[in-house]
Amino acid sequence: MKALLFERKVAKYAAAAVAGRFVPGKGAAVGPISLQDIDQPELPASGWVRVRPRLSGICGSDLATIDGHSSRYFEPIVSFPFVPGHEVVGDLDDGTRVVLVPILTCVPRGIDPPCAQCTGGQPNGCERVAFGHIEPGLQTGFCESTGGGWSTAFAAHESQLIKAPDDLSDEAAVMVEPAACAIHAAGLAKNGRSIVVLGAGTIGQLTIAALRHLGYEGSLTATARHPHQRDLALQLGADRVAAPTELSRVVRAQEHAMVVGDQLTAGVSDVLDCIGSAESIEQGLRVLEPGGHHRLVGMPGVTSLDLTPVWHRELHIGGSYAYTPTDFAAAVELVRTADLGRLVTATYPLARYREAIDHAANAGTRGAVKIAFDLRNEKERNR
Amino acid sequence: MNLKLRKPPFPFSAAPTPATVEPLSGKKHTGIDYETEWARSFPARLARLAVLEGVLRPTMKVIASPDCRGLDRLHDLAGKRRSNEPPQPVIFAANHHSHVDTPLLLSSIPEPWRHRMFVGAAADYFFKTRVTSTASALALNAIPIERTRVSRRSADDAADLIDDGWSMLIYPEGGRSPDGWGQPFRGGAAYLALRCNVPVVPVHLEGTGRIMRKGSKRLTRSATRITFGPPLWPDRDAGDDSRRMAVRIERAVAALADEASTDWYTARLRAHRDATPALSGPDPPSPWRRAWALGDRGPKRRRASKRRWPDLG
Amino acid sequence: MPRPGFVLDVDRSTPPILFWAGEGFRLERLPAERSRVIYPPEPLDPLPHPEAAIRHALLNPLGDSKPLPELLFPGMRLTIAFDDISLPLPPMQRPDVRQRVIEAVLDMAAEAGVDDVHLIAALALHRRMTEPELRHAVGDRVYDAFAPTGHLYNMDAEDTDNMAYLGSTEQGEEVEIVRRAAESDLLVYVNINLVAMDGGWKSTATGLASYRSLRHHHNVRTLQHSRSLMDRHKSALHTSNWRMGKVITDAGVKIFQIETTLNTDTFPPPFDFLMKREWEWSAKDRALFLGSSKSLARAPSRLARQIFHSIKAPHAMASVQAGEVDAVHEETIRNVHRQQLVEVEGQTDVLTMGLPYICPYNVNSIMNPILVMCLGLGYFFNLYRNKPLVREGGVLIMSHPTPWEFHPVHHPSYIDFFEQVLAETTDPLRIEAEFEKSYAEDEWYRHLYRTSYAYHGVHPFYMWYWGAHALQHLGRVIIVGGEPRAVRRLGFMAASTMNDALEMASDVVGHSPTITHLHAPPLLLADVQ
Repeated sequence: MKALLFERKVAKYAAAAVAGRFVPGKGAAVGPISLQDIDQPELPASGWVRVRPRLSGICGSDLATIDGHSSRYFEPIVSFPFVPGHEVVGDLDDGTRVVLVPILTCVPRGIDPPCAQCTGGQPNGCERVAFGHIEPGLQTGFCESTGGGWSTAFAAHESQLIKAPDDLSDEAAVMVEPAACAIHAAGLAKNGRSIVVLGAGTIGQLTIAALRHLGYEGSLTATARHPHQRDLALQLGADRVAAPTELSRVVRAQEHAMVVGDQLTAGVSDVLDCIGSAESIEQGLRVLEPGGHHRLVGMPGVTSLDLTPVWHRELHIGGSYAYTPTDFAAAVELVRTADLGRLVTATYPLARYREAIDHAANAGTRGAVKIAFDLRNEKERNR
Repeated sequence: MNLKLRKPPFPFSAAPTPATVEPLSGKKHTGIDYETEWARSFPARLARLAVLEGVLRPTMKVIASPDCRGLDRLHDLAGKRRSNEPPQPVIFAANHHSHVDTPLLLSSIPEPWRHRMFVGAAADYFFKTRVTSTASALALNAIPIERTRVSRRSADDAADLIDDGWSMLIYPEGGRSPDGWGQPFRGGAAYLALRCNVPVVPVHLEGTGRIMRKGSKRLTRSATRITFGPPLWPDRDAGDDSRRMAVRIERAVAALADEASTDWYTARLRAHRDATPALSGPDPPSPWRRAWALGDRGPKRRRASKRRWPDLG
Repeated sequence: MPRPGFVLDVDRSTPPILFWAGEGFRLERLPAERSRVIYPPEPLDPLPHPEAAIRHALLNPLGDSKPLPELLFPGMRLTIAFDDISLPLPPMQRPDVRQRVIEAVLDMAAEAGVDDVHLIAALALHRRMTEPELRHAVGDRVYDAFAPTGHLYNMDAEDTDNMAYLGSTEQGEEVEIVRRAAESDLLVYVNINLVAMDGGWKSTATGLASYRSLRHHHNVRTLQHSRSLMDRHKSALHTSNWRMGKVITDAGVKIFQIETTLNTDTFPPPFDFLMKREWEWSAKDRALFLGSSKSLARAPSRLARQIFHSIKAPHAMASVQAGEVDAVHEETIRNVHRQQLVEVEGQTDVLTMGLPYICPYNVNSIMNPILVMCLGLGYFFNLYRNKPLVREGGVLIMSHPTPWEFHPVHHPSYIDFFEQVLAETTDPLRIEAEFEKSYAEDEWYRHLYRTSYAYHGVHPFYMWYWGAHALQHLGRVIIVGGEPRAVRRLGFMAASTMNDALEMASDVVGHSPTITHLHAPPLLLADVQ
């Protein structure tokens, strides 16, 4: 079958890292990802089924991996070669349309009894992602044994699949997984007094929508570089959108703070950082009130940061990863209510993967939000 | 071999008067009789402009770095005229400490008077020889005047120039101060102001004495301050005569000295109380106390002597 | 002999007319047979002996006042307040008229043996003046004599301990001015009357006042009822200030008011062609116009701004009077009219004006869009007596590049006003009700006003209210050559050329409207019959 395969080739990985530094998305052309004809993955054990993807989204973490930006932290929890793609709506053999919950936790891994996290209803914190009867891999799309969404077929455990409601289009269904990440992040901040969302890419927009969906009624300020992102953010529920360079001024006026050097003396209670760069973290720390929370929703990497304000103003830096089953269910609701299928701006066949990744990496400048692979017309799909 | 320069023979050089003949008593061409009219012709003026702007001004900037104050007081005298009209003639009356005073003032007096200035210079010093006479007339547009009793001739010459639109720079003290304090002001400036009905602008110079003291030929760099005062118009109706006008001028320069060393308002308060410190310095005439009192005004720089230890070998 | 101002009816042989556009200018052809241009009077001859005139005024006061020397005695507390950087425009060449007057006053004070003198820049809620700006206004001698000891300073309207509440008018308008001024034995106010709005009781009641006082007349209703700001008998702003003046007098504050008027000699050579009538430009003037307008259009805005803000006007004093506030002010207004008044018959459908690079609030700074609105709709629109130059419901067309640019040090609250308040609404009443209080009381703006060189947090609101009368009166406002985003944020329409602007105006005033062009600067005051 046709699949985009990410192989362990050190030299190519280095090339991707260099290329990706200069031109976002260029790692696809020179890096270790390529379109290949491989065997369909075997079903590892009973309880596993074959899924044929219909639409597979391209996520920021995928782009980071392709461009060689992702941290070495992932090495033990990723197995090569793997097929990327964890945001999937697909068909089972009997034609049922399903949405993938990609996290490979104790249950799919056959670990009995499940770990404390899985038992406690927090499978995103599963301690066993490198163990069990399949290769290490934190999610489908990073695991050698399962395959991934950027292909015509992959293997999934029954516990990973949710029936896609009939009233949701494929585009809406493919947005459910990222929406679940957003719901999870929003859940951590929804009791805050006043929130800033940094970044107006897919995750930023979904986080804004998620906050309002969960009932947050306080002040919500977003940052966005591009006009279409501004309009979307306002439409999804932000009270005001500032250009990234203007955030401090806008928050100062909003919170009636004083300014000492670069730092505001008062500020918002929560910052949801949907970018995850050194600049975005510093920016977030500048506009938080003492005791405020900076949550990393977008995946960061190795960062150099001045932690003095964290100490001096008793700030908290935390993360938000993946989701719980409750979040996933709420995500389906969110996608339906806010009509989030419209965020899928363009789709590409597997053969044009370089263009697809380039488009996704430059989504903001090119007026796009989410880019996905369209597998419905692949010749081999129905074999 | 000795190479002697032989004097060229007559007619290439003057022949000496035979011993038995009475020498012709010719008209003396130096001192008070020196004719300076040529120095006000167009080519001479052009040359002087070049010297003033090209040589004197930059030199003064380096040696004296003058700080000019009070130029706005001259704004109304300049008035609004077209560039080729002559300006209101003015007599600039300044205190005198050093030979540097004249080139400094000539390069600091603003337009429109700067290039229409002439200076009254001591006949016996500046016009002693033909060479010094020519240099003084050309570079400074100087006319000879007597130091003590000004003759009718010099007074007429000066008055004619002023009536023609030239402005005059004069030092009412008559000569440079020997010890840094002022000398009594004479009546020349006052007399001319009354006669030609022109204003007197009092000017105070501070610091020129440090650059080149009287009697020394050495030039030392030092910062100077030039303060221009409000113009004094002769007021015959108020009973002004040379005497009273001279006193007004002296008082004005003393007030400027006060302004330069303290501030303008303190100077005004003292002036109205007649408490302006006199230019001639504190009363005790003993030289060391006068020098002592003067010492406060100069810069505090003290050049350390290079040798600290006696040289024993 | 300076010629008076006049109204030129445009016909086919009229040359194109000079229009200012910020840091630049161009020529525009106005439609023939239905346009007219109002030219200002030529500058009056200056007083031949300004120092003598000032002394004469101080010794021969108007109204119920003793000559100045009789009001000065040793041991007294004397305060001299003077107008701030917003006057004159452009800033004048040295010596500034304030310097001349203050030195004359101080000389008399020295004669009387007065030691306790304070000199205060009466800036109300404007920005503080920098050292070079103060030196330019009062001269180096006065600055060096008083500033080092802290006797010459900018007022601080937010220093509550040093503001004195003097009482309220019968209408409940609170009067609070600088304490030192209120408690002195004599307050001498040194004023420059550039336009008929300045001077009189406005000098002390506004110039030395705090927000608590100012809000009673710097508000939308008062300014909508000031028709015009240049005509104190028809201006609610001035009536309020005069009421406050009575409170000040009743509180026992003794004021010796010195008012001066300047002639309108606005531009030094080589820019003096900007004051001449177009058909009187010499060959040299025309060459200069062509050269400068082209190179300014190409120059980066920072450079153009630097060039223009370095212009020092050759303004000369045209009159000086001193004594009791009311008597002095009547004489001053007479002199302002003598210089600036032009008789105009009737109104037209359209009023056009070219806005220059400078207004009272951006000296040595950037003219942001809010100031463009204030200069056009607040000041130039109000240069009338009796009736506005344009009919009710007519169109105002202004020319200015209106860059979306703000000076971060001078106008910090303006940036927030533009981004936050104007994005919400441009209606002055809503703006006043919903936003003024939070900006006036914002700690950070207050901090910047007191310690930096920033206009007070509430100041952009006053700029907007200044145009409230015009906003009510006009049917449409169009800016030619302005940055479209900025113009639209102001609530106006953006046109690239004058023809486009007239086209845009056509659905309000038709396709053949009558047009008046205000050929200012130099300043004029139109007496509309």
